[in-house]
Amino acid sequence: MTTTLTDLDRARDVALDLSGWGRRFVFYQPRNFAFWGYLALVGIGVLTFLSTLAREYNAYGEAIGLAVTSFAFYAALFWWFTDRIDHYAKLPHNLMVVAFLWGGFAATGVMAANANDAILALYAKSFGQVWALNWGAGLAAPFNEELAKGSGLLLLIALAQRHIRTAFDGFILGAFIGLGFQIVEDITYAMTSAGTQFGANQIGASVGTIILRMVSGVAAHILYSAIFCAGVVYLVGRPAEPRRIGRGLLLIVIPMLLHGTWDSLGAIAGPDALTLIGLLIGTIVVALIIVARVYRLTVTRERDFVRDVMAPEQARDVISPVELDAMAGNRKARKAYRKAGRNRPERRRARYILNAAYALADELAAARGADTDQVRFARSEVARIRAGIPSPW
Amino acid sequence: MPETESSPPASAPRFEPREGWVPADERRFGLDRRTLRPTLVVFALVVVMSLVLPVINATVPYHDIVRAGDVMQIEGDVTFVPEAGWGITSGVRAGHAPLSGSYPATATVEDGAVKFTLRTGSFHGDADTLLGQIETTSDALNTGRGVRVTGAPTTIVTGAGQQGATVRVTGPHTIGVIAAFVYGSRGVEAVATGPTDADSEPSAAVLRMISSISHSGKDKQ
Repeated sequence: MTTTLTDLDRARDVALDLSGWGRRFVFYQPRNFAFWGYLALVGIGVLTFLSTLAREYNAYGEAIGLAVTSFAFYAALFWWFTDRIDHYAKLPHNLMVVAFLWGGFAATGVMAANANDAILALYAKSFGQVWALNWGAGLAAPFNEELAKGSGLLLLIALAQRHIRTAFDGFILGAFIGLGFQIVEDITYAMTSAGTQFGANQIGASVGTIILRMVSGVAAHILYSAIFCAGVVYLVGRPAEPRRIGRGLLLIVIPMLLHGTWDSLGAIAGPDALTLIGLLIGTIVVALIIVARVYRLTVTRERDFVRDVMAPEQARDVISPVELDAMAGNRKARKAYRKAGRNRPERRRARYILNAAYALADELAAARGADTDQVRFARSEVARIRAGIPSPW
Repeated sequence: MPETESSPPASAPRFEPREGWVPADERRFGLDRRTLRPTLVVFALVVVMSLVLPVINATVPYHDIVRAGDVMQIEGDVTFVPEAGWGITSGVRAGHAPLSGSYPATATVEDGAVKFTLRTGSFHGDADTLLGQIETTSDALNTGRGVRVTGAPTTIVTGAGQQGATVRVTGPHTIGVIAAFVYGSRGVEAVATGPTDADSEPSAAVLRMISSISHSGKDKQ
């Protein structure tokens, strides 16, 4: 069967429509009920957090300063990483900010904190203080916190119906929701630690908590919410992601189990510190393996979109078939493409060509496949770099 | 290999309605009907988490009542003898450590509106310094609106002979007493509070619990 350029252009239009790639996200949507719900809940969360911060700042100002500064850098690092792995059909950055704020303010102060306190107290009343100390956190936080964070994705889908189209979109936005949750929770933990020595030696009292939270955060809320929210998309179904209830439920249950195990490690390990360290490392490794698998599972559709969007460019000889494969491939494919150069300048040029081709893909998505000035310019940039001509700009 | 003959792509993007546009047949009360259900689901979850669960918790009483001979233990081998008949709302009995082997840093027992809390943490200084630190932190947190110290600190001695410092506190609706002890590098704070209509003097039960505070660890002075 012969595929014509018209077919390829049509397939590109379908891919752009399905994926929502390149569409601008506008937060202010007064006709959208989710907009008002989001605004109210995040607004209450922000006020709650700021009032707590203002009250505690008088007593624990040093520790709060250290925590906010440290976790701001930490958040920036994770933000960069999460943004970097979303390099196929990219989501708008302002949507990522909206996700981050939900996790940081609505999911924490408005939802999970209240439910955690109540359930922990109920466990203590029903099963005794010792049982609650052993298993309370592991049987409260996974349900409350994962549901609080994950429910935010329902609002985000209602707010960004044309953008959140795949399980991978859920995965990325879930990671940002988790990042927001984790940063605010970490700052709260640091504040609590600052008071453990009666308000004296605040830095010494909180620095251990800050370091521990940073290390353990590698496989915590960001990871849990990414998996959970990918599961939510599978569960509800989206235009580019047919509903798969079993897979969705599995991906919702897995982070709850990981979270519950993590919070119960102290009880599972017992008083032996070495056992605890071994279990901590084991849990982190298992969590990282699982999240890597979920990433590979969900990203396939995004790579297909890249292929569909760029196939007409390959057919018009803007990029080569090898470059198309690299663009729509995984990290190894891109690396193999770059390494194929005979010498260092060729390898460097291959990297630049790939970057320019991704920029062209983004321009094509923003133009909904049309041949705009921006698209023609992005196309000329690929040709310029390939020819080794210095940029006139 | 695709054929090369075809019309080029359009030079302008295809029209798409703006983000906030809602099809006429999807409007309800001026809102996008499709956004009602997910928002209501989230609101329902918020109500359950922030209202229903706390209300259920508030209506369920504590059943863990102190029996004669019980001893409460907190972190750092610090213990006290709670009054029989009081309810344990936080903390555990000596010999009943959590599986991690670490006792919590706080224990609280309550009798009606009277509450007695013992907490511990690392501290370098004497009992007077600790009491001063507690007062400073409390004032900073309350910014003049909550409980404040009234009167001068006095000395208090536990049954085990440990000397500490104590001071009376009053708030808008509460009165109470704070006692501070330091065992080596471990500070211990006891706080007893009750309603303002109660006797302004600490009850005998509270004084007995403060007197029963002891420490068996290596930091013992």
